[in-house]
Amino acid sequence: MEFHIDLGPQYEGESIRKEDFYVEFGGSAVKYKFERATLKSPEEVEHEKVEIIGSDIKDLEEGGSYPLAILIDVAGEELEPDMEPVIERRIHMYSNYVEGLWHMAQRNDIWLRLSKNSFKKGLNSLREVGEIYNFLFTSEIPQIEKIQTTFITDEKRIEELLPSALEVYEARDARARELKDEDVDEFYYCVLCQSFAPTHCCIVTPSRLANCGAMNWFDCKAAYKLDPEGPIAGFPKGECLDPLKGEFSGANKIVAEKSLGNYDRVYLHSAFEHPHTSCGCFQAICFYIPEVDAFGIIHRDYGGVTPAGLKFSTMAGDTSGGKQVEGSCGMALELLRSAKFFQADGGRKRLVWLPKEIKERYKEFLEADGVYDKIATEEDVSNTDELVEFLEKVGHPWIKGEVELPG
Amino acid sequence: MTKTIAIAGKGGTGKTVIAALLINLLSQEGVVLALDADPSTNLNQALGLPLRDTMGRIREEFVEEVERGRLPPTVIKQELLDYKIRDSLVESKRIDLLPMGRPEGPGCYCAANYMLRHSLDQIAKNYDYIVIDCEAGMEHISRQTTRDVDVLLLISDPTIRGITAAARMRDLIGELRTKVGKICLIVNRVKNGLPLEIGKAIDDFGLQLIATISEDPYIADLEIKGTPLIELPQDSPLQAKVKQVANSLGL
Repeated sequence: MEFHIDLGPQYEGESIRKEDFYVEFGGSAVKYKFERATLKSPEEVEHEKVEIIGSDIKDLEEGGSYPLAILIDVAGEELEPDMEPVIERRIHMYSNYVEGLWHMAQRNDIWLRLSKNSFKKGLNSLREVGEIYNFLFTSEIPQIEKIQTTFITDEKRIEELLPSALEVYEARDARARELKDEDVDEFYYCVLCQSFAPTHCCIVTPSRLANCGAMNWFDCKAAYKLDPEGPIAGFPKGECLDPLKGEFSGANKIVAEKSLGNYDRVYLHSAFEHPHTSCGCFQAICFYIPEVDAFGIIHRDYGGVTPAGLKFSTMAGDTSGGKQVEGSCGMALELLRSAKFFQADGGRKRLVWLPKEIKERYKEFLEADGVYDKIATEEDVSNTDELVEFLEKVGHPWIKGEVELPG
Repeated sequence: MTKTIAIAGKGGTGKTVIAALLINLLSQEGVVLALDADPSTNLNQALGLPLRDTMGRIREEFVEEVERGRLPPTVIKQELLDYKIRDSLVESKRIDLLPMGRPEGPGCYCAANYMLRHSLDQIAKNYDYIVIDCEAGMEHISRQTTRDVDVLLLISDPTIRGITAAARMRDLIGELRTKVGKICLIVNRVKNGLPLEIGKAIDDFGLQLIATISEDPYIADLEIKGTPLIELPQDSPLQAKVKQVANSLGL
């Protein structure tokens, strides 16, 4: 195909300054913008069609910021709905292949700029951008049998369509949250914190995000791709040695290597025997309360003390430093959402004390496990004796012996 | 090749004024990214540019959103930060400004800083010059960028405290991972020549003096009016000296 401008990955790092753009679409100056890829049936897709709803580039005033929706519809026998987000992400990649076209972010946050130079060379219509998409998508993803691209610059039309796009994004997030360790072959490790804790190595799996909460499995996957030599890298999870405790041969091997031989086993989903190490960066600590043989969680922003009278900072001192400390594990708060949250030990059902703020934040998950109204907070109890009393009074299922450990 | 110039020194030595003049001068040669790494963030005023978000605020907001679990799981955090940092850039004709804001509060910033470094390095490579107006601890240089510094300009007034601070900053940057090319000292606000004691202190610390600048009569007036300092008249002694320094450093 012949285009007015050049195409290729060499343009990916290219940035377009304000001074140099002809027009921009989206970005923080524009309220309505999004992009979306949709899998459709073959009869719904008119192959290689490009449609523009609203003004085209050449009709727009130079130097302005405009709304934009990019809709990519694809059909193909081998395509699956799970591939929609993957195809959608390619919009970013292929846009940046275009000389003088710059694309950032995704979903309803997109930001594009077209350079004055490329406009002068003749790239003055979204039709050509659409033809480029159709060409690149079909030549790079052979499973796409039919493709059509629609650009909408009409603000009202985008506003109308945005809610349905947001629903799609949310549904995808819900699916992503259900992704489990057994669904993937590759895990990631992160040693960003080794400057503080030289024997600490975070193992990141779909069911377990990094202790700091900033890196989930998807983030690590992206980081590894961006910087394969960096502190975050992928490894084959290997054989599952214990599905409940979350022991994997691949993780054991990585931990042995990265902890400088200090540890050679790690349980991803248990606080006992070989718990995960803790850096100094964890958002919270899951701690064992011997008096009731159960767990509590304290987080960094909580200024008070646990029923045992300990502050976060005191407990963090004993937990951190890259050690495996039984019954005291650094964790990300979002781990509370995970279906495998310390599952070998009884999971959320064995939680008996939480700061009020955390109890409320994760109410939905605690309710689902039937323990929301059984867990004490700093408002209910102020020492361990009161905790024991409280748990007996409300009839916490763990205390009553109603929770069976799996396995 | 992007040239990176860091400017550091004790407060009140005219560091930001010199940074602004240098940025303005270099923008005649190429496109400049001005990084305001001083938490008091006033390089924008000196350059006559508005202020958007600071990197510090973006980082705090990001850490907060992470803490609250508000970010969608599949929206890659690196890309989100790239977008936000790009969005906070103040863009003008030949100069873009990125204010770095306050250093971090308590909590974990390993991942956030790692990602910010990547964002900033991606942005930085598109410029001919990067000029960093540093804060005293120079932590931004180590935490928020992996760039090597081609020239470190230390600014002092003719006081022992100023010279000592300059020497300390030189040592500090040596302790960071950053590689530094030339390190030079400018003594600003000199009246009737450099005092002997100061000259001796410079020698004792092993600093390389590249210029002395006398008090600029125009500066006080601009400062009172709050006029951007880049509007200094061409015959301003400060302006002339900065040009001379840039030439002698081959910038």
